[in-house]
Amino acid sequence: MLEPLVSMRGITKYIYGGDGRPLRNTDVKILEGVDFDLFPGEVHVLVGENGAGKSTLMRILGGVIPPDRGELKIAGARVNLADARDAREKGVAFIHQELNLCANLDVAHNIFLGREPRRRGLKDAGEMYRRSAELLKALSTDLDPRLSVARLSTAQQQLVEIAKAMSFRSRVVIMDEPTASLTKREIDVLFDLIRRMRSEGIGIVYISHRFEEILAIGDRFTVLRDGRLVGTQPIQSFEPNSVIWMMAGRSIDEMYPRTHAVEPEPVLELRGLRLATHTPPIDLVVRRGEVVGLGGLVGSGRTELAKSVFGARRFHSGDVRYLGRKTNGWSPARLIRAGMAYLSEDRKTEGLIPPMSIRENLSLASLRSVAKLGFLSRPREERQAGRLIRQLNIVARSSEQLVSTLSGGNQQKCVLGKWLCTAPRLLMLDEPTRGIDVGAKAQIHSLIDQIAGAGVAILMISSELPELIGISDRVYVMREGGVVAELEAGPELTQERVVACMV
Amino acid sequence: MSAPVTEVVRAGAAPGEGGAPPTRAPAAGKGRVWIAAGGLLKLVGRNVALLIFLTLVILASLFVENFAALDNAEVILKQSAIPAIAVIGMTLVLMTGGIDLSLGYVVGLASIVSGIMANTWLWPAPAVLAAILVLGLAVGLCNGLITQFMRVPAFIATLGAGYVLYGLAQIVSQGSIINRLPKGFLAIGRTPMFGLPSAVFLALAVAVVFHVLISRTIFGRQLKAFGFGARAAVLSGVPGARINVSVYALCSTLAALCGLLFTVRVNAAQPNMGGGVFTFEVVTAAIVGGTSLFGGVGSVGNSILGVLSIKIIENCINLLGVSYHLYLAVQGAIILLAIILGNLTNRRA
Repeated sequence: MLEPLVSMRGITKYIYGGDGRPLRNTDVKILEGVDFDLFPGEVHVLVGENGAGKSTLMRILGGVIPPDRGELKIAGARVNLADARDAREKGVAFIHQELNLCANLDVAHNIFLGREPRRRGLKDAGEMYRRSAELLKALSTDLDPRLSVARLSTAQQQLVEIAKAMSFRSRVVIMDEPTASLTKREIDVLFDLIRRMRSEGIGIVYISHRFEEILAIGDRFTVLRDGRLVGTQPIQSFEPNSVIWMMAGRSIDEMYPRTHAVEPEPVLELRGLRLATHTPPIDLVVRRGEVVGLGGLVGSGRTELAKSVFGARRFHSGDVRYLGRKTNGWSPARLIRAGMAYLSEDRKTEGLIPPMSIRENLSLASLRSVAKLGFLSRPREERQAGRLIRQLNIVARSSEQLVSTLSGGNQQKCVLGKWLCTAPRLLMLDEPTRGIDVGAKAQIHSLIDQIAGAGVAILMISSELPELIGISDRVYVMREGGVVAELEAGPELTQERVVACMV
Repeated sequence: MSAPVTEVVRAGAAPGEGGAPPTRAPAAGKGRVWIAAGGLLKLVGRNVALLIFLTLVILASLFVENFAALDNAEVILKQSAIPAIAVIGMTLVLMTGGIDLSLGYVVGLASIVSGIMANTWLWPAPAVLAAILVLGLAVGLCNGLITQFMRVPAFIATLGAGYVLYGLAQIVSQGSIINRLPKGFLAIGRTPMFGLPSAVFLALAVAVVFHVLISRTIFGRQLKAFGFGARAAVLSGVPGARINVSVYALCSTLAALCGLLFTVRVNAAQPNMGGGVFTFEVVTAAIVGGTSLFGGVGSVGNSILGVLSIKIIENCINLLGVSYHLYLAVQGAIILLAIILGNLTNRRA
């Protein structure tokens, strides 16, 4: 038996609290006891839903973050990686999804960044270009090492990253969704390259959501779910339906309340909305009292869609019709006054003002309702805050507590409370339960149902399939900036079908 | 607008009522000490401007001869009145996370222009006052529009604008100073009231108005939110562009008023009045008053305490007969120290 290049045993990573200390006493961990092996000359595919822990596991292997528990061996020797540089020197190269190149430098300078060849203490540019050309030639590309990186396509930039990895004589190469922005032909070139690296005994970890690629390039695959290892199998046993089950198949033990009823009047209608020049037109409708789910992978355009509707982002073309009026080009302020609300996935920078109090955050989007002639009424504001804190069950010492000191779940309830104060007609929720504990999740699910029951139209973006399926009356699935499927709630709305549309 | 959602909220108590709300684990002994220390720090933090002011008063009274005298206090008040008006505008700008480096040059332009209006064109005082305020407003709108819509960083935009104004003021003045201004004009800031010149009470009035604006109005709340987190604020319906432009407009308007009042005080209109030295003094005062250079934090009262504090330092340097240039060096040191301290506390948070 060959000795593994990388052997990870019992890798555990805790969630970190706001004070930068790990939360050891919760059930929720980012990674829990994960084992992972990589042999020389294999392409090991890592699959799992968003948030399953794939990236965290690889960031540990890449030295970006240390594990809280567990053991990491590289080439049989136990190691503690100090940082990414240390990992690279030990032969682990991490090619991130967002490429890390300096756009203002040329190819050769990027390959040798920070360790340019020297002669008598001075940079030896000739040597650097010669060796860069050699490396690039070995990758059978005729890329000119003197070209500025800013002028390269994404595929070419990826080549530079790979050349850089090769220059370190890396034995382990981690590729995080390398084909996300490549064309079919570029993917073929990349796969040739991967096969060549494999034949030279390099081990490759390949993270991807695309099943056809996984089948085309993988040797073995490992499935992670909720930070735990589900299983590692040879690619021969890779069967899409069973893998989807491994990825998503959690028992739906939470009950999703459903007391609201859909009414016929449309609140939001998108007609031929194109998010960018190269994306297809989107038609979408959300009705009074309806919860419409928006599924898709990260980067499929769901957040962009919501922000386009909310006037927080420019879109390419098409119409947004809200309450029967065309609202293209309206500002968020104007849309909020017309009863539109958007709960962002990014609580800290787009949802809340952390250094301000609960009271001030709750009233921020509806200041006019607690003011007279522009002057704020403190008593009215306090009454409103007190009412919401009670009704949303926000756990806080007082309404004067700063939002930054609250837990994730309570912060999210504050954002929701802020929007409820505006008496919304359309509420767009972007990952409403991300990063919050199970109890708060159930409360938010129940609130969503009640809000819809009051006749509010709800558009909910969620990466959590049980939530998406459990709450929605209808689900649109997005891929690459367009809507690829519309599924009605019922027997046909299953996790498998949603995932199959997503990838 | 429909009412249903308030009903939802009212009905919303149901879901959580099943389970008891999670209670916080009692703080460990060590934790409690930290919380106490943090509370103390917060208390000091909120009143740091007052603390600095009182410390300076006590130290100066003890160690500087002739400081603790009623007529010296009057001198400090008189000298603080005009910078106090300017610091209010600067505080507004700093609260958005911006800065207005043109402030001192607006003072110079307003000075020479008001002199020409009053002396050469023989405009009545109220007309001069109104025209000068409009001049300031116009300059401020330019500053605001450039930073907001041309995406020029405030630092560069206002520095550039400042030099344009400085050049204009020199051209307008044709190199001369206008002395012996009309009585009616001088009355704006020199009318004695309760033993003090009217400029002091004018400053007080401006302070009260702006204090209310910042702490009691929708505008003030939105300004604070915008300064702390522009993205979240705009996505909550705060009109970011309007706020950003307004603060520069208000700042320059108040600066123009300062230019007029300075002219009245020294009975001479000159283009060199104010300038970079004055801008720097005002920024220092705002920072001593606890205003954050990163936005969000600022109060009229504290900024004025900041003015009084640095004017006390200036006063002591005068009384001690030390070079005036020491005052400039002290200001520079204060700004650097404040920024370093700010960074240290940010890092800890």
